[in-house]
Amino acid sequence: MSPQNKAYSIENNTIIIDRELTKLDLFVKDFLEVLKRHSDYLVVSGFVSISTGRTRGTEDVDILAQKLNKIEFALLLEDLFKNKFWCYQGDTINEIWKYIENGSNIRFAKEEEMFPNIEFISIDKSKPVKYFEFTHPQKIKIQDFEFKIPPIEFEILYKEIVLAGKKDIEDAKHLRTFFSELIKKERFKEYEPLIKKELK
Amino acid sequence: MKLKQIPKTDLDYIEVYAEKLKENPKFFKQQKELIESQLSSSSNLTKKRFSKENFKMQARAHLKEIGVCS
Repeated sequence: MSPQNKAYSIENNTIIIDRELTKLDLFVKDFLEVLKRHSDYLVVSGFVSISTGRTRGTEDVDILAQKLNKIEFALLLEDLFKNKFWCYQGDTINEIWKYIENGSNIRFAKEEEMFPNIEFISIDKSKPVKYFEFTHPQKIKIQDFEFKIPPIEFEILYKEIVLAGKKDIEDAKHLRTFFSELIKKERFKEYEPLIKKELK
Repeated sequence: MKLKQIPKTDLDYIEVYAEKLKENPKFFKQQKELIESQLSSSSNLTKKRFSKENFKMQARAHLKEIGVCS
């Protein structure tokens, strides 16, 4: 059943948001066009709320990507540099790989800019909660920009239970209200025990 | 949309805004203006602070200072 409102609709399980693209969307779109050639991905956290209408600014966009080996990661890096992104942590694979190897996040911005930036989070099965959302994506589309986010119920609970800062609680409130017609209560019951594992 | 009660807290206002947005997607235009104004300010600040020639070196030094990069 399609939701009874004018801001979004559902087509083939994809949430279609009725709005123009912002410069922030175009920045994320540019990054994902490169990343998708090398890895699967999931856009998480603040951008999920902002892309669905939450009125607040942000400096970074969190993106989960599957853990690549060094050769695969070098190819991704080369492609990002070719497409005018720079990495906060270094200019060479050896400088940057040590961060990936020890599980640290790295950041990319457009050349000669610091903000907005992409917080690049490598994940694999050793992070079961993140891996779950990564493997259960929800598609969302704004004009010609289609991307993957976590299930809305998962994103709400993750913000309320794990992140739990003022900004996160506000983002969760926005999502609960904006998507009230889409949210399935049984999914909260399904996801809550899984998300609570992240606290242990 | 009729308000159930007068909003008091930040969370109340977020709820009212999200409800209004569902009724009238024109509110997205205001959101776009806010986001793009923030991006423009950040970009201007970055350009004033770091020279084009030594951008990465200066930016990384700043990031180390504020603890974003090791």
